[in-house]
Amino acid sequence: MVKTKSLAILVLLGVMGSLVVIYYFPSDTNKVKRRFALLAQWASKDPDEKALATAQKLKKIGALFDEKNRLQVPSQEISGTFSREEIVAFAARIRLAFSQLHIKFYDIIVTFPKEKKVQVTLTARLTGKWPSGENVDETRELICTLNKVEDEWLFSEFEVVEVLKK
Amino acid sequence: MEPTYGHGGINFIWRLGYTFSGLKRYDVVAVRLAGSKVMLLKRVVALGGEWVEFREGKLFIDGKKMDESYVHYPGNWTLPPRQVDKGSVYVVGDNRNMPMESHYFGQTSLSRIVGVPLW
Repeated sequence: MVKTKSLAILVLLGVMGSLVVIYYFPSDTNKVKRRFALLAQWASKDPDEKALATAQKLKKIGALFDEKNRLQVPSQEISGTFSREEIVAFAARIRLAFSQLHIKFYDIIVTFPKEKKVQVTLTARLTGKWPSGENVDETRELICTLNKVEDEWLFSEFEVVEVLKK
Repeated sequence: MEPTYGHGGINFIWRLGYTFSGLKRYDVVAVRLAGSKVMLLKRVVALGGEWVEFREGKLFIDGKKMDESYVHYPGNWTLPPRQVDKGSVYVVGDNRNMPMESHYFGQTSLSRIVGVPLW
């Protein structure tokens, strides 16, 4: 009986130790996934969001991006390199266009093509409402690149995969 | 793909549908939109190398007007001719009674074709 209890305590300690290590010393893959979770959280908008909250979220979004960023959205004919400030302004315009906006990322596949660079393929789902009340529900595949700058993974490239080309 | 397939419906996809035979015009296929789960059902209207065009809602392939008996809600789309790349097909939904800009259709790589709906 004592042996069983000791074993159970050891197993519990082992699990707790593993969780602490994962939480405080996450792998680069988990750090990258966390960046996407933060981007989704801060890009999303509730209908009753206050101006101060909007400003804080936009500032936080800016901190997720590198100084120069490449955007490619073929369906909107957007292609080019944008500064961090331009990305924030772009995010502000998109958020303003919606009365409600929720972004979620799925199917995140992380690969490391070279040191301090990561490429991520994922599914992005955007749901929300236009100010007119009309619902929006769009899903797209994205390819993103992040650079490691001073131990932080920063977004540097976003490409919306063009599955159907008119 | 309305009215052939209802929006948001559940369909089973036969992944081996093109193992022994190639894609044919008018086949309905599942196109992988994102990840491994998000699919679109579309109809193949043109194959690699062919020219596709819409004139006042009518489909033309290599300049020849095509019969589209499955289109119950025709529209008035006009799309200048374009050649489908080799290794690709041109897919369109059956519901044409909506603005062309809002309809998700076009050329897609064969590698994006997952299979065919079972019914």
